[in-house]
Amino acid sequence: MGLRTWLKLAVVAGVATNIAGTAFAGGTLRYATIGEPPSLDQQVITSDLATTIAHHIFEGLYTFNAAYEPVPLLAESETLSDGGKVITITLRKNVRFHNGQPMTAADVVASLQRWGAYGSRGGLLFDNVERVEATGEYEVTITLSRPFGPWKNLLAFINGGPAIYPASIVEGASKEPLAPDGYIGTGPYKFSAWEPNRYLELVRYEDYVSPEGDPDGYAGRRSANFDRLRFIPVPDVGTRVAGVRAGDFDYAESIPGDLYAELDADPGVRTILNGGPIFGLVFTNSKAGPLKDNFALRRAIQTALDKTAALRVAIGPESLWRANGSFYPKGNVWYTEAGTENFSKADPELARRMAKEAGYNGEPIKFMVSTNYPFHYDTAIVYTKQLAEAGFNIDLQVYDWATLIEKRAQPDQWDMFFTHHGFVPDPILISVMNDNYPGWWATPEKEKLKARFTATADPAKRRAIWAEIQALIYEQVPTMKTGDIYTYNIASPALEGLAASTLIWPHFWNVSK
Amino acid sequence: MLGYALDRLLTLVPTLLAASLLVFLFVRLIPGDPAAILLGDTATPDQIAALTRELGLDQPLWKQYVLWLGNILHGDFGTSIFFGKPVLGVIADGAGTSLLLAVTTMGWILLIGVPIGILAAVRQGSWIDQATSGLAMLMASVPTFWLGLYFILVFAVGLGWFPSSGFPSITGEGGLLNLRYLVLPSLTLAAPNAALIIRLVRASMLDVSREDHVRTARAKGLHPLRVAIKHVFRNALIAVAGAFGFTFAALVSEAVVTETVFSLPGVGRLVVQSILRRDYPVIQGVILVVVVFYMFVNLLVDLAYALLDPRVSLK
Repeated sequence: MGLRTWLKLAVVAGVATNIAGTAFAGGTLRYATIGEPPSLDQQVITSDLATTIAHHIFEGLYTFNAAYEPVPLLAESETLSDGGKVITITLRKNVRFHNGQPMTAADVVASLQRWGAYGSRGGLLFDNVERVEATGEYEVTITLSRPFGPWKNLLAFINGGPAIYPASIVEGASKEPLAPDGYIGTGPYKFSAWEPNRYLELVRYEDYVSPEGDPDGYAGRRSANFDRLRFIPVPDVGTRVAGVRAGDFDYAESIPGDLYAELDADPGVRTILNGGPIFGLVFTNSKAGPLKDNFALRRAIQTALDKTAALRVAIGPESLWRANGSFYPKGNVWYTEAGTENFSKADPELARRMAKEAGYNGEPIKFMVSTNYPFHYDTAIVYTKQLAEAGFNIDLQVYDWATLIEKRAQPDQWDMFFTHHGFVPDPILISVMNDNYPGWWATPEKEKLKARFTATADPAKRRAIWAEIQALIYEQVPTMKTGDIYTYNIASPALEGLAASTLIWPHFWNVSK
Repeated sequence: MLGYALDRLLTLVPTLLAASLLVFLFVRLIPGDPAAILLGDTATPDQIAALTRELGLDQPLWKQYVLWLGNILHGDFGTSIFFGKPVLGVIADGAGTSLLLAVTTMGWILLIGVPIGILAAVRQGSWIDQATSGLAMLMASVPTFWLGLYFILVFAVGLGWFPSSGFPSITGEGGLLNLRYLVLPSLTLAAPNAALIIRLVRASMLDVSREDHVRTARAKGLHPLRVAIKHVFRNALIAVAGAFGFTFAALVSEAVVTETVFSLPGVGRLVVQSILRRDYPVIQGVILVVVVFYMFVNLLVDLAYALLDPRVSLK
């Protein structure tokens, strides 16, 4: 390109930007993401970013309303028989996939079977499933080996969950995530393009048939008002914020707490809290090392921690965190205070005595943390100092996330590691409930409670058993909750129809600008 | 010159083989399992092992290397684990952006660095020289991430003259007008490199200006500007040309910070993201391509010496 051309372009650019921006942005939602999803295959991928994009494309049999109750989406209704062991689901009859095929029971059966065999969370349900079969063109019957209370919550949770694909796509699919040509769903938007490092784009599905009813959480009417949803990877947070302020993006995610006060006061930007808080977890090793089976020593460690101080340092503004020991926030049906008196005692002297009684003699305790998530590292630094004051010899090992994931699978490599957990609508989905999750908590006491917890569908009974499990977590300390963190996103004030807070992942049906 | 160029191209072969082996081994030495990263936090060891098998990562290292090298010889750089697309296509897209950014940046470097460098040399010791030295120091010392964010705040958020980030392809919607997305990043990237060129042009010109032929030119009564351009700058260009070449090559791989701040889909950001994702085929592919690019630019610089200075013979 010639110098003169370049100079001309540079001069023209200022004038052209606004004109061009308006012309190209009409009907397009521009969402600045923190990165790119590994894949959009909802059955095997649990990345929150993947779900933020993919739940516009794929739908499940059920979804959640604003009270986190599972309600029908592709299903129309269900009946339970044989003491809750036989679930017969009637499907909506007018649903079509993005390739034009009607959705029938054969597609649902194939999707559930692939999810049961390879899905990230499929095993939780399918360990209790005897068979899944099409008992009519629009009827699916799931036969369980024993009653399993959380079945509907698991079918409604789309992240790593049973998204419904055409049978032709999932028959023969395995654990390897589907390629983009397999992104065929029933949602209000369909997959259009994925330009690596540039954007991922969805376009409105013109033949979408919406469920009925007033919008309620993810349930009810879904109207695709935008022509296109464009998800643009913008790894630098300063650029994401500046982009929304400059009008280049309509929405930006994962904004740090230290900018909250400034952005909340800025009329040019709207802050949107995520309703379902995430929470940090410090897992302890039940297979090897000084913490294996030594519950008293684990309790001593928890006693030394002042979690409020760590939250203040790591997160910042008090409106973005709660020093809440319950695994669910106040107001949620699963909220319980069982065991939470031990959440944050912040008593180094008591901790020192408890550790001595537990037989601790200053052995190094390997504590792994990643720098990929700043609040992990900041919290771990505060904890390490607090534990040192109580006489613990903490060997803080700092890795990138990929290395930490590999090392935590090896029991001899660590004693504690830091991670975080997204909000899940049923406690069975919390990672500590999974016996195979690193930490490998599978004591007989847990197994007994877990069996009772999943065997009943009675909400009151399940809540009572969950309280017992939470109390056991504080007694055996397979993991230490660090507190609730309300992450937030920012949006252009021009967006209409956005809820004041997101349920779990932001959604853009019923939203316009 | 043609023989020299062919000789140099032949030496690329063993260098590339060595580079491919080093890249392959170093990438595998980094802890971290691509299958575990892809499947996320809830994946069980069995699921991770199954995907590892499907990706062929359970094979012995030597077998993986031979297979990879064999495929490269057939023009197949493999498939990105993360994107599920051919590596060459992913790299080509990023390389296009990086090259455009580098070319634009070189334009700024030439526009800023050469005239100011000449001016500083011609006015050696004056306040102009002092001011340009100070400017060069400032440009070299301001971190690019800070400068980039500052440009965004002033020219994108404040004045609204340029887009804050991203770069849509010039072959797509918007066409050549999309080049406006590169104005702020190229200026950001140009700042420290232009400072280097200012100092280099000044120093080279001062060196040459002390030579006999310049004194003769001045004694003949030639106009000072003519002396400065025709007799001093032209000879000083030989030293500067090498710096241009290396700067251009370096711009492609050094633009990581700028590409991150401005969310440009270039190879710098691609390789960093690929390392974090342990996307082995992309990391290996990008590094090999960058090695070839460096060697090619190196060769061009050597050939340029011969063109600029007839005394240089290439053997």
